[in-house]
Amino acid sequence: MADLVVLDRRFIARGVERSSALRFMFWLVPWVILVGLGIYAAALCLFYGLNQTNMDNRFAFGMWIYLDLGMIALGAGAFFTGFLVYILKQEDLKPILNSAVVVGLICYSGAVAVLMVDVGQPLRAWFTFWHPNTHSMLTEVTFCITCYLFVLILEYLPVLLRNRQLRKVPSFLVFEHQLHKLVPVLAGLGAFLSFFHQGSLGGLYGVLRGRPFAFRQGFAIWPSTFFLFIISAMAVGPSFLILVTATAEAVTGRKLVQSTVFRKLGRISGILLGVYVALKAIDTLVWLNVTSRAVGFAPWDFYAYKPFGSALLFIEILPLGLLPVFLLTLPMTSKRRGWVLCGAALACSGILLNRFVLTVQTLALPTLPFDEYLQYIPSWQEVATFLGVIAYGVILYSLSYRYLPMFGQSKGVDKNVPVG
Amino acid sequence: MFPWVDGFHWSPNHIIFLTLFAGVVLTIASTIARAVWRTSTDFQTHRATDMCWQLNFKELPEAERTCRHELAGRVSHRTCPNAFDCRHCAQYAEFAALPARGGALTGGVSFSNELLYHRGHTWVRPEEDGTCTVGLDQLADHMIGHPDSVQLPANGTGIETSGVAWRMTKNGHEISVRAPMDGTVVATGGNADGWYLRVRPTKPGDLRHLLRGAEVSGWLAAELDRLQVQFSSADAPVCMADGGTLMPELMDAMPAADWDAVLDATFLEG
Amino acid sequence: MSARYGFVIDLDRCTGCGACMVACAAENNVPPAAPRATPRTGLTPMLVRKVSNGMDGIARREVFIPIACMHCGNETPCVSVCPQQAVEVDKATGIVMQMPQRCLGCRYCMTACPYHARYFNWWDPAWPTGMEKSLNPAVAVRMRGVVEKCNMCHGRLHSAMEKAAAAGRREIDPADYVPACAEACPTGAITFGNLADDKDPVSHAAHSPDAFRLLAKLDTEPKVYFKSQQAWVRGLADRESDRPSEVQNG
Repeated sequence: MADLVVLDRRFIARGVERSSALRFMFWLVPWVILVGLGIYAAALCLFYGLNQTNMDNRFAFGMWIYLDLGMIALGAGAFFTGFLVYILKQEDLKPILNSAVVVGLICYSGAVAVLMVDVGQPLRAWFTFWHPNTHSMLTEVTFCITCYLFVLILEYLPVLLRNRQLRKVPSFLVFEHQLHKLVPVLAGLGAFLSFFHQGSLGGLYGVLRGRPFAFRQGFAIWPSTFFLFIISAMAVGPSFLILVTATAEAVTGRKLVQSTVFRKLGRISGILLGVYVALKAIDTLVWLNVTSRAVGFAPWDFYAYKPFGSALLFIEILPLGLLPVFLLTLPMTSKRRGWVLCGAALACSGILLNRFVLTVQTLALPTLPFDEYLQYIPSWQEVATFLGVIAYGVILYSLSYRYLPMFGQSKGVDKNVPVG
Repeated sequence: MFPWVDGFHWSPNHIIFLTLFAGVVLTIASTIARAVWRTSTDFQTHRATDMCWQLNFKELPEAERTCRHELAGRVSHRTCPNAFDCRHCAQYAEFAALPARGGALTGGVSFSNELLYHRGHTWVRPEEDGTCTVGLDQLADHMIGHPDSVQLPANGTGIETSGVAWRMTKNGHEISVRAPMDGTVVATGGNADGWYLRVRPTKPGDLRHLLRGAEVSGWLAAELDRLQVQFSSADAPVCMADGGTLMPELMDAMPAADWDAVLDATFLEG
Repeated sequence: MSARYGFVIDLDRCTGCGACMVACAAENNVPPAAPRATPRTGLTPMLVRKVSNGMDGIARREVFIPIACMHCGNETPCVSVCPQQAVEVDKATGIVMQMPQRCLGCRYCMTACPYHARYFNWWDPAWPTGMEKSLNPAVAVRMRGVVEKCNMCHGRLHSAMEKAAAAGRREIDPADYVPACAEACPTGAITFGNLADDKDPVSHAAHSPDAFRLLAKLDTEPKVYFKSQQAWVRGLADRESDRPSEVQNG
């Protein structure tokens, strides 16, 4: 046992404060149990088939797809922060860059893991690459997310190789240095890929002309949801980073970044959210009054079914849309940490609600004139798999925080000097 | 995906999509390839050792990067901007001309005015035949005591300043001793001999970066201060003791100390 | 030899007997329902739905609507969304063909189809011992995790083409190619033919004033036409935005 404690200390950077090995182990235990449960649930689905879930022929997409879209939107902070730092030269955001990469890696790897359980034949996943359908938004999503996951792993590698023991291997250290020099290329590539796949996730639903609730007009082949998803992802990414970092600060009891970083991320998030809400309002009006009417749907048709009433639309645009814009940008509130956290939480909730409405409500609504309204409650296997992914994320974040320079903490006096 | 696969069409859509995808894959692959290529070139051109040292130097806390001239009392405060390589320091000559006052080393460890010292706790003695003898200074020697094993380089091996000269193990800890100079090993000794390597220098006379005389006492005093802090527990105050004399076989005498941290700091591991 | 095969289904003749559903299942090797299957997780490439006019008592009217894949001809929703081209429109016949061996089981096509004509294999297919002898050798069995739907009894088209080739003819004899549902229908409600052929009575029926297609406003160009002399049935074709929606039990 004492040997494990010594071994654990050996991997923690010299001069850096971390909680004791025992305490860390106790912290990990519940998350490991959740991961175990998640693996068990996923194994049931892989072994017995997707009848283990409560999805059906009418609710072909369920909780997993909703949470995939949600996670990928929240993980947009990785590409966006990289873009801001390396392309737009916002150097004051550098301290949060490493942790943004970790959050992005967690969100994307988690989403891909859930997808592998969600499809009926995971071993055929490579078929999309061999027979791509260039008209399909899902092809675009598959290609981009796969490539972007690679990019995230490459961006995470230098952080990993800077571990106290790993960097003692000369080839690792030199390779890390050379790879780190090329990170701006990866950041640019990541921004390019993210632009397309965040948009295509919106396009997935926007092109469905058989589902007037989701269908939108747009530019060329891209429905308006393509652009709305990109902007909303860019808006919510920084907010989610704020929330995750604040949670980490609360759990570890240490200040991890300067409050100016939070303030700046909050302002960027608020401004983009404002643009998004404005565009969404216009889009909603066009969709309700023009696009849907053309195929016989009046606005109240979409909201006649409770609990998916019109309240959802107003909640999304006002308390979870406009309110966080004010909280994050007005000088009165944006300078106070409490209000910034509140605004960030509301913004994230708003985007999660938006993804929910588009994935779940779309399928609940009828398409044929004689269809009925449908209900769907996820099964425990679906919930457990998803909780397992969240737990995996907490574990990966915790391990990265303990053993890697996530917040640029050198052993020096200034704990916030970025490393590398 | 490819023209011979069923379902392929030569449509503009298909071509644009596949071109973009190929572009992305090529960018990712070329980034990895460039990093790997540059790494291997760094090793082949022997730049790797120096690069590793530079990167590790940046990881040292500011207090451990004090310039030798501050330690010698020539200047009030200066952090080394050159990874301890005074041979390439533009201001070295300017500082070296100032009078040295030395630090308040009152016993503790002894050193010799005839030896030249490297910050990694090795000393160099130029011999008449042009070679140099390299040994471990008393602070490091007393700290380690009798090593469990010593891995010395074979005759003919090249060593580079601040690269690894030889390795020792003690009580399960691996210690990489940094080389104080560039050269080729012509003979090896051991712990019992009082010296470890005999080296033919690459560039004779190029030992400007090594500490000598009054600089050494200032440096060793700072090192003893550091050890005192590292050995005391986190919540104990710094005591006004007289320092005392460093005991030999320290690692055996104080098994509970955080030797990973002490050894890393002493041998400039980062 | 470009045909556009399609159906005209006379809703005034459909009695809701379900013979088309049984025939389809037999022809296409649809497995028996798994013990935990529900109406929403069952495999029914042909499904007869009961629709009422929403009124009670003496004014109540009901109609049975057999729904299978509409084989949409214009920007077929499922074809454009499948990420690996596991479904395509056969240019020679207009049939929208599903390839279960390429299907990944992502179910995107199922969300795209407005007619709910696609079904997922939620379970591994299992036949009670002995029942496997009733399998149709001309149709491949699907595994779990893939999507399937009506393929317009494509296997029967192949048999008709082989028969014509053996007799030295280039065109098939229309009588040789009749899908199982049309063949089984006892009232003759389901009729099948070549919509591109002016001489085909089905093509003629498709243009009658009583004929309509479901969700015509979506402009998917389905090849399944329905026909009824009752106005309220024809009103089921589309939603009208000025008419409140009627929740029906399907």
